Parts: sequence; C-alpha cells; structure tokens
Amino acid sequence: MTELQSYEGYSVGDQLDEITQSVDQTMINAYADASGDINPLHIDPEFAKTTFFGRTIAHGLLTLAFVSRVLSAWNWQGWAYGGELNVSFLGPVYPGDSVRVSGEIDQIEKRGDGIYARCQLACFCDERTVVKGFVICKISP
Amino acid sequence: MSDYVKYSSMSEGDDFLDPVPSFKVTAERVNKYIKSTNDGTQQLTVEDGQGRRVAPPMLAAVYVIDALRTRVGPPGGIHAKQQFKFHRPAYVGETLLTSAQVLNLYERKGRKYVEMTTETRNQDGELITSGMITRIWGKEA
Repeated sequence: MTELQSYEGYSVGDQLDEITQSVDQTMINAYADASGDINPLHIDPEFAKTTFFGRTIAHGLLTLAFVSRVLSAWNWQGWAYGGELNVSFLGPVYPGDSVRVSGEIDQIEKRGDGIYARCQLACFCDERTVVKGFVICKISP
Repeated sequence: MSDYVKYSSMSEGDDFLDPVPSFKVTAERVNKYIKSTNDGTQQLTVEDGQGRRVAPPMLAAVYVIDALRTRVGPPGGIHAKQQFKFHRPAYVGETLLTSAQVLNLYERKGRKYVEMTTETRNQDGELITSGMITRIWGKEA
C-alpha cells in the first residue's frame, strides 16, 4: 500500500459537506415504524423513564442514516459499492437534539485494486460527541 | 418463560439465527425508510443503468436488525458499536437472508456485551453486506 496526499480532486484534509438534522419523537417513531425496531427505550416514554437515560433516545442506526446521507453526497459510488463503516455510539440522541454530521479525509492510499480514502467521522449534539468512527471508500473508478 | 433470549443461553461461536430469516426488499419498505430518515439522495429516486431500484446502503440497519429481532434480547438493550461493509446495495425485489454468529460475550463496568458478526446474501447467494454489531444487553427480569 502506498499513501498519497491527493488523488483526482480528493485530498487529505478535505472536509465533507456537513449536514445538521433535528430529531424529535415523531421522527424516532417514524424510524421505529420503518425499521421495525420497536425497542421501548425509543418509543415508550414511561418505559424509558425506568432506564439509565431517563427518557426516550433515538435509535443509533437512525444517526447512521444521517451519516449515510453525508457519504452518499460525497462519494455515492464508493460508499454504496464497497464502503466500509466502523463506528462507536458514544452517547444518546434525545428528542429535541440536532445532530451535526462531519467528516474529514485523513488518509488516501493506493491498494492493489484502486485508490481508497479514509474519512474520520463524528456526529455531535451541540458539544457532545454521540458517534465517532471512520469510513473507507474507493475513490478511483 | 421469557419471550427473549437469555444472555446465559448464548455461547461464543453459536449461529445466532437458525433458521436464517428472510427479508423482502419492497418499494414500500424502501420508501418508508427514506422518508423516515429524510434522505434526499438523488440516486435513490431513479433506476440504475440496468433498470433496478437501488435501496439505501443503510437499509442494512433494517434488514440486519429485522433478522436479529427474531432472537431479541430484553427491552432496554442498546447499540454500542457497528461495522458494515457494503459489497453492493440491495435492489428492490430481492430477498435477503442474514446469518449471524456470536463472536464474543463479555462484561464491562457491570454491563453485559454481545458481539456478533452478520452476513447478508440475496436469494442467489450474492454477498450484499457483512458486518459486526456490538450490543449492550438489556437487564433481564
């Protein structure tokens, strides 16, 4: 593997276009319905009061759907056809939060079958980091 | 008798899903998912070059969780980490089969963790998504 500083319009240090998505209980309920994930921690306020969080929280995978929107806009082909995502959920997203998704290319490398970029990813609710990780996508044809 | 899997009943190396559940990718499911995640990705609104409707990569969150729900843990469990590799997107009309294996069981700070690998193939055996999910097990009654 050979590390590069840039390739065809992609450079180490490039910021991905951020998005900010507000989340409310209606959105969480809609995601629960669409995904079939009806864990009461997400949709039942009375149950959620009995948990560590004290109130409902959004599905972690809903936050990853916002990450996917950023990556689709950045490099649809590389993301949908071979993208590798690796993230940790560091904190909850509560109804009323706004999730900001950011990313930055920190590595470009040449492999046997093409050129790949690695982006560091983070999702924030105000100053709280709620998701952190990275994605690797092919950037060459 | 509880209606969820007991943590103590799992062992590392277990095939978690036997038989392997199936998931039909329908336009209705895809549309519902896109709407619930507010995903305006242009490629999801048109057919690809071969006349196929492409599903969002993160629909994996739906079909993998749908598969795991057949052996759900107690209420209150949460997602700690997620890895996905999207070998290619799923297409509307495909039937997806997800297998899962228990990789690690461990306890940290009084919480019980389950680490599972997953693999999703279509009805013809083509690999769609592979991944690893780490869940914090909910408290058992």
